[in-house]
Amino acid sequence: MSERRFAGLTLLPGAGWLVLLFLIPLGITLAISFGVTDDLGNAVYAWRPENYSQVFDPLFVPVLLRSVGYAAATVTLCLLIGYPIAYFIARFGGKYKYLLVALVVLPFLVNYLIRVYAWVAILSDEGLINGILKDMGMTTDGVRFLNTPFAVVGGLVYGYMAFMILPVYAALDRMDSSLIEAGKDLYANGWQTFRHVTWPATFQGVLAGSVLVFLPAVGDFVSAQLLGGPDTYMVGNLIQQQFFEANNYPFGAALTTVLMAFLLIFMVFYLRSAGRASEEARA
Amino acid sequence: MTGRNTDRLWLPDRMSRRDAFKVGGGLALAAGLSACGVGNGSGTVDEAATERAIEPKIDGDLVYFNYAQYVDPALVKQFEKKYGVQVRESYFDSMPAMMAKLGSGNRYDLIFPSAEFADKLVKGNQLLKIPRDKLSAIGDVYPFFDDPWYDPGSEHTVPYSLYLTGLGYRADEIDTMTGSWRDIVNPQADGRSFLLDDFQEVIGMANLVNGYDLNATEADQLSESRDYVVGLKPKLRGFSTDTITNMSSGNAWIQHLWNGDVINIRYRVDDPSSIQFQKNKEGWPVGSDVFAIPTNAQHPGTALKFIDFMLENSAQNSTWTGYPMPTDSATKPYAELTDGEPELQVSVDDLEKGQQFANLEGADREAWDRTWIEIKAS
Amino acid sequence: MSSTPAAAENAREARGGKPPKDFDRPRFLRVLMGLFLVWTFAPIAVVVLFSFNSGKSLQNFDGISTQWYSDFFGDQQLRESLIASLEIALVTMVVATVLGSLLAFGLVRSRNRLSPVTNVMMLIPLVVPEIVAGVTALLLFTQIGLRLSLTTIILAHITFSISYVTVIVRGRLAALNREVEEAAMDLGATRMQTMRLVVLPAVWPAILAAGLLTFALSFDDFVLSFFTTGEEVQPLPVRIYSSIRFGVTPTINAIGTLMMLVSISTIALALALPRILGRRGQTVLIGKDAV
Repeated sequence: MSERRFAGLTLLPGAGWLVLLFLIPLGITLAISFGVTDDLGNAVYAWRPENYSQVFDPLFVPVLLRSVGYAAATVTLCLLIGYPIAYFIARFGGKYKYLLVALVVLPFLVNYLIRVYAWVAILSDEGLINGILKDMGMTTDGVRFLNTPFAVVGGLVYGYMAFMILPVYAALDRMDSSLIEAGKDLYANGWQTFRHVTWPATFQGVLAGSVLVFLPAVGDFVSAQLLGGPDTYMVGNLIQQQFFEANNYPFGAALTTVLMAFLLIFMVFYLRSAGRASEEARA
Repeated sequence: MTGRNTDRLWLPDRMSRRDAFKVGGGLALAAGLSACGVGNGSGTVDEAATERAIEPKIDGDLVYFNYAQYVDPALVKQFEKKYGVQVRESYFDSMPAMMAKLGSGNRYDLIFPSAEFADKLVKGNQLLKIPRDKLSAIGDVYPFFDDPWYDPGSEHTVPYSLYLTGLGYRADEIDTMTGSWRDIVNPQADGRSFLLDDFQEVIGMANLVNGYDLNATEADQLSESRDYVVGLKPKLRGFSTDTITNMSSGNAWIQHLWNGDVINIRYRVDDPSSIQFQKNKEGWPVGSDVFAIPTNAQHPGTALKFIDFMLENSAQNSTWTGYPMPTDSATKPYAELTDGEPELQVSVDDLEKGQQFANLEGADREAWDRTWIEIKAS
Repeated sequence: MSSTPAAAENAREARGGKPPKDFDRPRFLRVLMGLFLVWTFAPIAVVVLFSFNSGKSLQNFDGISTQWYSDFFGDQQLRESLIASLEIALVTMVVATVLGSLLAFGLVRSRNRLSPVTNVMMLIPLVVPEIVAGVTALLLFTQIGLRLSLTTIILAHITFSISYVTVIVRGRLAALNREVEEAAMDLGATRMQTMRLVVLPAVWPAILAAGLLTFALSFDDFVLSFFTTGEEVQPLPVRIYSSIRFGVTPTINAIGTLMMLVSISTIALALALPRILGRRGQTVLIGKDAV
């Protein structure tokens, strides 16, 4: 059997599953987005494209921008922190490699909510950190860590860090370390080596991690809900509100469709230009 | 490494318009099918479904659906022991979430909707008729609930708890409260104020502050309320329903909350007297949550027995949850718990004079939703 | 060819070259690693510590007690929830990893017309907010008349985990050198043998990473689970979610600690499994270090 045929066959189970169990719910989302809510509070199918014009209300532009901004900040921080960690483990972990990966992943095995509430306890105005700061005389009323945009991004980074570290680690682990040594001989300093050897070799892993962090982060609502202030309202909160509070499934579905379309388009552009850039760099 | 064109990795080789149409077409087809097919929404359920005759006798384990920590666990254990059944608990944390699960075909025996949602459920013929005469402890319930607005004749519900909304504050840090809702941004709190993350409570409060009815729905009234809240935002720390965490951690010095929360917060701080409650002069929302049995309940007998059991033990339950149950036997113990603080208690007078959230529908509901979105997103 | 960074450093110094001032220094990275671990473990420490607190507070530690753990194990529903969460996560991990890896392989290697469409379809679950995923999964099951149960939760979890696996595995798969596979086949190996002995060992770390991630995601999931759960047994995070808003109790901390221990054990087992099952596939290992 030719490779193409074989590869084509391997597509089928996964694709089949997604068609059955994902495409249809997606279709439902689309159908509901044109619907209305009846008096009993049930969403019924109808034809009401006004749901979509509601989505494009200028009121929501700052909300969307803010969500994208927070998500971008989250990806950046996850990369800045996560890459060196993955690098350290892959390059210098030696026989403790698996143990270190396990250690890094371990905290993510504790329920996210529980971890966040533990942070709330630590960072509260009368919590652990502020207690220490007060004892050191650095503050009287306590520093406000929580209910700020920083807390929200911090919460996002905390929640999605593993999504960045694991793919990057997988890519780094694959890379032949002698390439780095060769690079060091070739290039003047470490940064050059990194730019011309390490980074391109692990680019796919970084891309994977970025996608896995950015996309869910934009639609996240938990972090903003638990750690945010009055001005940290994100798209995810807006959507959640339609389903959990306003019981306005049609509008929520319309918001979701637009958000998804936006993210997909954005991703295609980003990946295309990133792919082109990495090819040029390699050339 | 060979110069592999790895951007193909992420992007389809030739993502042409045809392919986009294929995906879009598939979606549209799926959408169309699901819309034409079984169709969503229960439609109008036959009223006959609510007429099933039920008796308070044990007919299996109780499948119970409620907010978390809203019933004394000691009482639940007692019930389990006394009748030899299990109480299988599931939790929701918002009414719409409860409604979504109810509509999914899950067969709960006992649910705890708020009054407005009970109204919705009664109108939708989704609740079984409860034979009040068969409940031994029913006489203990306040007569006010013999014919409540949300359940004429009280045929489908039994009231569970009473609550009213006010401001909780740190008496050890703030001494300039004026008895008004406007105290939410008292300068002494220095920005440590939270409003509830609840559209009904916030818009309702703003309506009261502006001198309107709690459930005002006129466009100009709602605009005024919206502007009032948006004006508060710079001085607020946030919108949050984590009232207990906020106040017990010191992040909140003033918190928009329900009376029962105060009791719960006091159980968790070193100095209970530092937490005080203020009922505000512009008016206050008062409400009740109720027991209800869905029409598809599998063990309604056990559910009735549970209701009866809770009514009998209303005093103990009230002191544990912090919310008074509307029974005569709970009134005094709750008054003792909240000794000297009548503002925490919900008297029949409060019920009659206080304002209750209506079950807004249609255009009115949309107006409120719109106002809330504008408040949050501005 | 130098094999370890330390040996390389020595070799370079022997040549008389200056160690470049850069990020590739173990010491700097070690400090970073240390700080990172402190940061990620700080709340864990709080959780674990206070799960043994004899008092109820989160601010003051009153003394050691295991009462919350005995409470947990004495509560049949909590035990059932823990087991349910575990079952769901394990099944999801296995099925999603298999489906996702196959999908990754197909997407990287095949050139047929189905591929671009499948690619987009695979990416969409990543952009769907969980609420929507939950609500629409619920609607799907209601419409086809499938009663909500553990099965529906598992179905939903798998559906939304496949994309994560595909994305991770694909990264590693694409960087593989095909010449090794072609050489193996020239030497007489069948396609299946090549897959098993050349491709699989090379991609294995990515598959493992993806599998573990899927497990963690599923075990911890709340939103999707809430909507697809039946009226009886519920996964642990669903139980926790509502309670935690009323204040974190030591019982919740105990639950968190237990969940962590369960996850650790499962992962340790997953890591140990290849070693236990023997080194048959490892002897023909040429994939990783091929030029």
